[in-house]
Amino acid sequence: MHILLMEDEPELGAYIVRRLGESGHRVDYASRGDTGLGLVSEGNYDLLIVDRMLPGVDGLSLVKSLRKRQPNLPVLFLSNLGGLDDRVEGLNSGGDDYLVKPFAFAELLARVNALLRRPQHTGQPTSMRVGNLEIDLIKRRVTRAGKKIDLQPREFELLEYLMRRTEQIVTRTMLLEGVWRYHFDPKTNIVETHISRLRSKIGSDMIQTVRGSGYLIRAGRAAS
Amino acid sequence: MQVGQLLRSASFRLTTAYVALFSISVSILASLIYFSATAELQHEIRTRIQVDSVALGAEYARGGTSQLMQAMADRQRGHLVGGLDYTLYGSGGKLLFGKLPSTACRRGWVTFVGPPDGDEPPGEMEKLAVLVTPLAGGECLLVGDDIGKVRKFGSLILGSFGWVFLLTVTMAVAGGIFLSSRFLRRIEAINRTAEAIIEGDINRRIPRRGAPDDLDRLASTLNRMLDRTTSLMDSLRHVSNDVAHDLRTPLGRLRNTLENAKESISSPEDYRAVLDRAVFEVDGILDTFGAILRVAQIESGSRRSGFQRLSLSELVCDVCETFAPSMEDAGKTFLTDIQPGLYVQGDRELLVQSLVNILENAITHTAAGVRVIVSLKRSWRGVELSISDNGAGVPDAECENIFKRFYRLERSRSAAGNGLGLSIVAAVAELHGAKISSSSSNPGLKVTLLFSPVREAA
Repeated sequence: MHILLMEDEPELGAYIVRRLGESGHRVDYASRGDTGLGLVSEGNYDLLIVDRMLPGVDGLSLVKSLRKRQPNLPVLFLSNLGGLDDRVEGLNSGGDDYLVKPFAFAELLARVNALLRRPQHTGQPTSMRVGNLEIDLIKRRVTRAGKKIDLQPREFELLEYLMRRTEQIVTRTMLLEGVWRYHFDPKTNIVETHISRLRSKIGSDMIQTVRGSGYLIRAGRAAS
Repeated sequence: MQVGQLLRSASFRLTTAYVALFSISVSILASLIYFSATAELQHEIRTRIQVDSVALGAEYARGGTSQLMQAMADRQRGHLVGGLDYTLYGSGGKLLFGKLPSTACRRGWVTFVGPPDGDEPPGEMEKLAVLVTPLAGGECLLVGDDIGKVRKFGSLILGSFGWVFLLTVTMAVAGGIFLSSRFLRRIEAINRTAEAIIEGDINRRIPRRGAPDDLDRLASTLNRMLDRTTSLMDSLRHVSNDVAHDLRTPLGRLRNTLENAKESISSPEDYRAVLDRAVFEVDGILDTFGAILRVAQIESGSRRSGFQRLSLSELVCDVCETFAPSMEDAGKTFLTDIQPGLYVQGDRELLVQSLVNILENAITHTAAGVRVIVSLKRSWRGVELSISDNGAGVPDAECENIFKRFYRLERSRSAAGNGLGLSIVAAVAELHGAKISSSSSNPGLKVTLLFSPVREAA
């Protein structure tokens, strides 16, 4: 995938370019807002990663003006400002996701991949299936190989979030934001606890821990 | 204290202005009294002259010149000093009676200025107001009186006003100097204290006289301000000490890890393990920094602008539900007693964080088998959120300290954490205007947050 990174710290920029390159993405790099804007109008990008504070044109107004021309281009903000207001401001200006520095590269990669795979049309499915695990979003029912599994509401939401991103790495922070709507890290092990509960209920073979990154769900070995 | 300073002092200048204003009003009053009194006196003299002239005219009508002269002689004899002067000229202009100089015999007032007769102020001529009355037989009657005494009376009035004025101004200036010097002495004391504090003696305080006047109140307010500043400075100093100390430990560990690695690493697996440890330590340091920044940000009060009315009941339910599995895994009995429909004005994220921190503490710092109770209810004091356990608790003497930054009980030093969890809770409580307290729940610890309730939306 073709990604444009706008970041004014050259060391961090070079690092992200290299790591994303290793993960199979093609990355262009701009250290200023105005040069970045020029690149966007020329190149055909699948994703933008934009630092909020950029020399030339700042990240917020850059994305705002960009949104008028390319409403479907996913944008991921990077920022030193982690307050709720800053985040809301970033998302309101047209960002699709918001990542606060300092971050682990795994976190960035997971979010980049999530944004790139996001379906362009958001038709809501009524049920989903991974292997022999089935989730009915209307009746809020979960079955594995035809057997009903009882889940707590939070466990159900967690499973739904994972299944919407089947075979995709989901980080701890993404789960906190998506399932608990905590846009901050409360520094507890609630995610781990809930994952282990969920595992014990649906079978330990489906939800995998990706070391240093997060979790992903895929068809279990026991499934056909 | 110098004279120049005294004269420049605000209170002295105020006194001066007051004296000037007072002087102007006294002068106006004096001249008003002077003019109205002298005019009244003149009027009275002239009336007397007129009345007497008419009376003498009547004597003349009854008995001619001889009776008139008789009447005038009677009057002059009977009078004491300061009586009227009578003069009669015959039809040929011959002086028949009295000593006033002759004048054209036309009815009306004339003024004579003559040599002094003894009752004038020294060096002034006598001044007479004279009414001329022509009589039927061609004679001319002159009745007059000394109007110099009007002036004399006037200057008496002005003189006494002058004395009063002089006395008043003297007293006012003296009083002004006295009051200013007293005032200045106390201002000077405040000034000296401030200078001493600037010089570095931050424990100096403004002396107080013990009288409940405005200067004393000012002094006590300033002293309290200084106390607050000092305590803030102290806490700042402590914080920087604590930060330095608490970051040195993990940095030291990190350094040891890396140094050991340099010498003893042989396989890629070893590298990986060492790097993982290093990243773990750095994450811990970043977390500590993040928490410090967070406390600072919360304490700055800037987040208050984002406050919303929110259901504390729902928020507490939500967090408790999330925590139930962790509590169970840690072997605690977790009970909740949450009254629905309680609202507060606040920041959801910070309130969640606070409750999470308290619950995390309950998990980390108590043994398995302990009972943890979260209760939210409305009491007469407000909306009361309390988290209690029956674990080992905190000694009474330490109850206040647990909210301090980096504070950790001796027995918890080895447990995970950075000693900032409850500081964040305390800062959040303060931001929300909530009272936070911790007490022993015999056994165990009870942390209570008391919010002022928000009226339910209509």
